[in-house]
Amino acid sequence: MNDERSPAATTFERLEAKAERSFPNIAAAQRLTTETLSRLHGLLHREVPSDTSVVVFGSLARGEYTPKSDVDWTLLIDGQADPGHHGAVRAITRALKENDFGEPGPTGVFGNVAVSHTILHQIGGQDDTNKLTTQRILLLLESQAVGITRGPLRGHPSAGRDEALERVIKLVLSRYVEDDRGLLFGSKGDLVPRFLLNDIVRYWRTVTVDFVYKQRDRADGWALRNAKLKMSRKLIFVSGLFTCFALELFGAGEPFRDGAGKPDVFRLVRFLRERIRVRPLEQLAQAALRPAVSPATARALFEEYDAFLGVLSDDEKRAHLKRLTFDDLDRGDALFRDTSRCGRRFQEALNKLFFEDDPELRRLVVEYGVF
Amino acid sequence: MRAIGFSTGAIAPGDVPRALALLGDRGTRAVELSALRLAELDVLLAQIPALDVSAYAHVSVHAPSRFGAADEPRIAEALAAAVPPAWPIVLHPDTIHDPRAWRGLGARLFIENMDRRKASGRTVRELGRIFEALPEASFCFDIGHAHQVDRTMNDAWLLLRELGARLGQVHVSEVAATGRHDPLSRSAVFAFQKVAAWIPATVPLIVESPAGPGEIATQLALAAEALGGAGTC
Repeated sequence: MNDERSPAATTFERLEAKAERSFPNIAAAQRLTTETLSRLHGLLHREVPSDTSVVVFGSLARGEYTPKSDVDWTLLIDGQADPGHHGAVRAITRALKENDFGEPGPTGVFGNVAVSHTILHQIGGQDDTNKLTTQRILLLLESQAVGITRGPLRGHPSAGRDEALERVIKLVLSRYVEDDRGLLFGSKGDLVPRFLLNDIVRYWRTVTVDFVYKQRDRADGWALRNAKLKMSRKLIFVSGLFTCFALELFGAGEPFRDGAGKPDVFRLVRFLRERIRVRPLEQLAQAALRPAVSPATARALFEEYDAFLGVLSDDEKRAHLKRLTFDDLDRGDALFRDTSRCGRRFQEALNKLFFEDDPELRRLVVEYGVF
Repeated sequence: MRAIGFSTGAIAPGDVPRALALLGDRGTRAVELSALRLAELDVLLAQIPALDVSAYAHVSVHAPSRFGAADEPRIAEALAAAVPPAWPIVLHPDTIHDPRAWRGLGARLFIENMDRRKASGRTVRELGRIFEALPEASFCFDIGHAHQVDRTMNDAWLLLRELGARLGQVHVSEVAATGRHDPLSRSAVFAFQKVAAWIPATVPLIVESPAGPGEIATQLALAAEALGGAGTC
């Protein structure tokens, strides 16, 4: 994923100019992300076996890391089975714990191994579990490899042992494109990868349903999870929509079709691969910078997200949300009311973005985002 | 019709005359004389004047895949002197210590893309640095290596798109995760077909799949099925 020296800095600068304000919590989280990734590179570079990548997800991958954020990670394996992988997982877990990194959540999606074969081949069908779907979609939309690579990038703070991750991402994207007969042979002029879009929508609906499921098993932390659902989880879904609409929104002038008018699979995959390098907030910023989107909408989107990151960055507020019980919520809690309002305003701004300001976005989401 | 043939190293490693004898009556029109091991080079160069390769429209020579910097000038000079001017010389980019040793070969030098075992020479970006140092060199596209690096064939497509103007020859085999060249399977054939349209019919194929005498025809047929042309022509 991109770092602060990439065009992302320019995108956010332009966004701040359009919105006529700065977003300090977002900027602080981006800086902390870069520092933390660099630290992780140093800690873990000896622990990454061949044909694997240590992949982080969550706020660290999104560029939104805050001081009390967890490190959600998995050892992604794209090669021969190796008993050493178990030792690598234990070594990584130990290294993270000894260096006071927050441990991943208890649901088992992260903190262990993920194997490329199942990620690639079990898309849909009875064997495609919630866990697999989550792993696969997050690999596409919210992932970053850590560890130091060989060659001229060795020691580079943004370098990663990312070959396994890169291979798996390309494999999965290729599967989504090659299997999408509507995309390749359909009569509609639009290039919208519906197989991918449907899986992203399925992921989002799974997240929302599982949120309710979790409150049976884990009443603690509900308020914090609720805030994250309405903001960062939703942002992942939104960035997924942008990815699927990107061929239409950002691909003008690109030669996606061959001389016979047939979509070129390689060009489509390559373009989608470049699009998912763009972190979710930057994708949102690019959308907010579209000429049809009003400065007010742009400002609202990022004001609320900046406020959300401000809460997460504040140890006391974060801990307070985490401690809240349902009884506390029934009695009324000021901080929870604020974060709920934040979520509502963020949704209102998304509604304006998708359904009011930009006719092209509206067309795409109405035509492809509902059915 | 595309010229298809075999690497002698895939049929009879270290024994070019035997490999040619095994290929002799199959009507293949391309052959690569292989000296992958340094010890094989002087033997091959000495044999060249006596080899009957008149039936082949395309003959190339594969340079050793490993040698030290001290040996490099001698090897480059020996190849330039002993290999007939019309025959390309295939070289692994990771063996190059000093590009100047190879510049004199010009377009006869075929730089081959590498597999994942190597730290460089695998992608367009990595090969770009090589071609900057050797601007007149041609490109030997190893489709098996490209497939091993990226099973989706996206990188293969990119190599052909960006380096197609330099393309002089294609190596064909299936390459395992370990880097070992394996006989072609149908799965590899299907994958290779994805980029066949980017390989002009004038570019010869050299099959590198290890093959006993009884398997040569099958491997040639699979290569032709993957990338067009008859099994032998």
